[in-house]
Amino acid sequence: MPLRQRLASLGRNLFQRKRVDSDLDEELRAYVDQLASEKRQQGMTADEALRTARLELGGMQQVKEDVREVRTGRMLDQLLQDLRYGARTLRKNPAFTAVALLALAVGIGANTAMFSVAYGILMRPLPYADADRIAAVFEQYAPRDFQFGTMSIRDYQRWRENNRAFENPSLFRSWRMDIGGTEGIPEQVQGSSVTAGFFSTLQVSPIAGRTFVEGEDKPGNASLAVLSESIWRRRFGASSSVLGRTILVNGAPSTVIGVMPAGFEIPNRLTEVWTNLVLNPPGRFGPWLYRGIARLKPGVTLEQAQAETNNIARRLMQENPYYKRMTMPIRSLRDAMLGTTLRPALLVLTGAVGLVLLIAVVNVANLMLARATVREREMALRLSLGAGRSRLARQLLTESVLLAALGGLAGLAVAWGGINLIRVWNPGNLPLIEAVRLDGTALVFTLLVSLLTGVLFGMVPAFHSSRADLNSTLKEGGRGANTSRSRGRTRAILVVSEIALSLMLMVGAGLLLRSFVNLQRENGGFSTPPSQILTMLISPGNKKYSDAKVGLPFYDEVIRRALSVPGVEFATMTDSLPPDRQGDADTFRLEGQTLGPGEMNPVVTHATVGPDYFRALGIPLVKGREFTRRDDPNSTPVTVISEGFARRFFPHQEALGKHVGYCCDGSNTLWMEVVGIVGDVKYLGLSTDADPAYYMSFAQSYGPRSFFLVRTSGDAALIADALRKEIQSIDMGVTLAQVGTLRQAMDTSVSQPRFDTMLLLLFAGIALLLAAVGVYGLIAYSVAQRTHEIGVRMALGAAQRDVVRMVIGQGAGLAAIGIVAGLAGALALARLLATMLFGVGSSDALTFTAAAFTLLLVVLAATFVPALRATRISPVTALRYE
Amino acid sequence: MAATNLLQGTLDLLILKALALTELHGLAISNRIAQMTNGTFQVKPGSLFPALHRMEESGWLASSWGESENNRRAKFYQLTAAGRRQLQTETEQWKTIALAIGMALETS
Repeated sequence: MPLRQRLASLGRNLFQRKRVDSDLDEELRAYVDQLASEKRQQGMTADEALRTARLELGGMQQVKEDVREVRTGRMLDQLLQDLRYGARTLRKNPAFTAVALLALAVGIGANTAMFSVAYGILMRPLPYADADRIAAVFEQYAPRDFQFGTMSIRDYQRWRENNRAFENPSLFRSWRMDIGGTEGIPEQVQGSSVTAGFFSTLQVSPIAGRTFVEGEDKPGNASLAVLSESIWRRRFGASSSVLGRTILVNGAPSTVIGVMPAGFEIPNRLTEVWTNLVLNPPGRFGPWLYRGIARLKPGVTLEQAQAETNNIARRLMQENPYYKRMTMPIRSLRDAMLGTTLRPALLVLTGAVGLVLLIAVVNVANLMLARATVREREMALRLSLGAGRSRLARQLLTESVLLAALGGLAGLAVAWGGINLIRVWNPGNLPLIEAVRLDGTALVFTLLVSLLTGVLFGMVPAFHSSRADLNSTLKEGGRGANTSRSRGRTRAILVVSEIALSLMLMVGAGLLLRSFVNLQRENGGFSTPPSQILTMLISPGNKKYSDAKVGLPFYDEVIRRALSVPGVEFATMTDSLPPDRQGDADTFRLEGQTLGPGEMNPVVTHATVGPDYFRALGIPLVKGREFTRRDDPNSTPVTVISEGFARRFFPHQEALGKHVGYCCDGSNTLWMEVVGIVGDVKYLGLSTDADPAYYMSFAQSYGPRSFFLVRTSGDAALIADALRKEIQSIDMGVTLAQVGTLRQAMDTSVSQPRFDTMLLLLFAGIALLLAAVGVYGLIAYSVAQRTHEIGVRMALGAAQRDVVRMVIGQGAGLAAIGIVAGLAGALALARLLATMLFGVGSSDALTFTAAAFTLLLVVLAATFVPALRATRISPVTALRYE
Repeated sequence: MAATNLLQGTLDLLILKALALTELHGLAISNRIAQMTNGTFQVKPGSLFPALHRMEESGWLASSWGESENNRRAKFYQLTAAGRRQLQTETEQWKTIALAIGMALETS
């Protein structure tokens, strides 16, 4: 059939409905008239003829309805009709509409927000060409077994020699850099030293100048620097004359060759300077400071590359017996940026928020069912007037989807707010947070979720209505007992599932909360309140301070001035800080120990600290003494070891007086006498076990850049400015960075668990609230329906207490079933959480019990209000109304 | 035979045939069908009008307002080119089917 014709009909039917209808009217009237005039000609009287003609037509309205039924766009027309009708119904029930919309807005909004976060971080393509062909390469080996372990230059060279899978294996290392020069005051920035192939691996072009080219990582090459857009703007006013300029990077003159575009975030978001990593032949095995990055050759799969690097790892193991069970894990660029914990956490949260939506859906379905009861008479009437059952079901579905669409619209607002809050605040320190935004993908997601939601919660009442028993409903004056009973059962099942789902979320949230509380209780091994410790990273800037003879007096002066600031009790230096700033890690030698060729002691935490470090932090001295000011370059080298170190490497013997050798190439070993044993401190994060550690005296292991740590009698944050002024008055070239209290550092180190916990608590809270509303609605409705029965009972002598007990019993029954089902679900869910938990088992009885009890209490509270109302039923009134 | 028992295709074919010679209004179409079939088919308005509107929207019929024989305004239907083609196709189909069914029924 001609499409043009169809479209014309459609347009006419939809937009000229009045004319089309009046045309039809006239056509039919003419038909009747003609028929009547025929009858008259056959000898009937005028009246009789007209009556017979009308009779033969068989009902004007019916014919018109039949004609409309075949018109093009009939479905669309009905849809518009249903939408109009639905909108009117929603407007006329503001309370119902408000509650349903609120539940939907929260449910859909939370899901859209969570989806955007998860999509942005886990899935949105990274802004690098063929980003999924870029891999980060690590080393993982016993005994340290870090999933993202770093490698040494020697290992990198082995990798390069044996590489066939990758385009151009590159190496990089992130560290702090001092930037100085004539262009502005010195400052410390995050920097990265990278090999020549780094930028070509990522295939990102500079916005000015060039990046490193082949050979610029060879020994003896001049020092070069590539700047980030941010530092170029900040220090050079975004001037193109910066190219070719010499700036000071860590005191060494370096030539600026290029500027990277904003948004280039490799290796991380804060990196502002890239220098060429010069691959000097390593003097010894280690240090492990570097990560690999490379692009897969065309046609090579990640698995093939993984097999190859693992082969290389096997070779490395043969060369260095120190490596045990070694692999060289390859991770996608994204995984390397995300770390190990974020992906599972986001997936769990996304699942949890899905449950919240499910509860919201159940809640709205419940409301719809309650309303369906009220509308039973309307439906029965329409059925009896000839509406098809499927037509009625379709209309109810249309209403539901309309409601869901409105809910989705409101949900978009909720999501927009939520996403912006998360972006600005970034409470979880989430990487790639810039990629989180409300975009087309999220809109499509919201649309689909809304439609699905509408169909889901619309299906139940639609199904019920289409089964409605016409006769009994009309007969019973809208109190159809049969359908009501089945509807009541459905509602009870819905409420029970709400309770079960809520319990699952509450148990999950409870477990994370317990785990988080455990983390918060974890003090990292020191007893001074962290709010009384202020730390900052000092870099003296000027190269002359690299010499200990100049540097040590400088730091003595820093300490002297710091102690003059009111409130300061101790001031000292350290290169490592709890809870997660491990300064260095290295292997060591032990007095009297013979190691086979290539054999090594494990790499452990190796910290350099000044006098008073242990006292300032409140790290217990177990035995021996702490470092003093006399442990300087002119005196015997000494070391303090941790209890864990003593236990593991000096088992069943007196460690004091023994000697530990600081690294490690034959004659270069610096032998230090153990003079003290201190408590274990966590330098690798609060949720990991403390690493064995050996400490060196700052004066005997001097480095110009150091954390400066003061302990104050009050709030340490208050003296930051005074301290900064004192220190910079020694030398204007001195830079201070990462100024903050240990409290802040502790908080930051658990920001992701806190983020997870807060979100899951929020979800569980919403779920609980929705479940309470659901229970309340069901019980209140059932009390209203049983007014008569309760009246009779009270007339027959039931006390108010009995009535309350009966109603609450109903709620308790629902809760009991819901809780039993929920506990089973929660056990399964909790297993998914296992890796996110710290110090609490995934089947922690206390959490399960507490969650179940809380839920029971809330359900009973929600039941109590209608129960009280039931007691106020006057038997006389209740019976009279019957 | 009651109008409701008319197969839709049959009704369409009858309407097309009724309009083959000249344009007609609703009542005239049903009269013409009755006449053509010797009164076997009495098409009721409840079937006739939906069919007419459906066929018009399919492009087989065109309608226009005109004067009826007793000087009343009435809506006249006429075949379009597509309608004529449809009449031809349906006629051939019907003949094939009728022949086939006739043969089937005569088989002993």
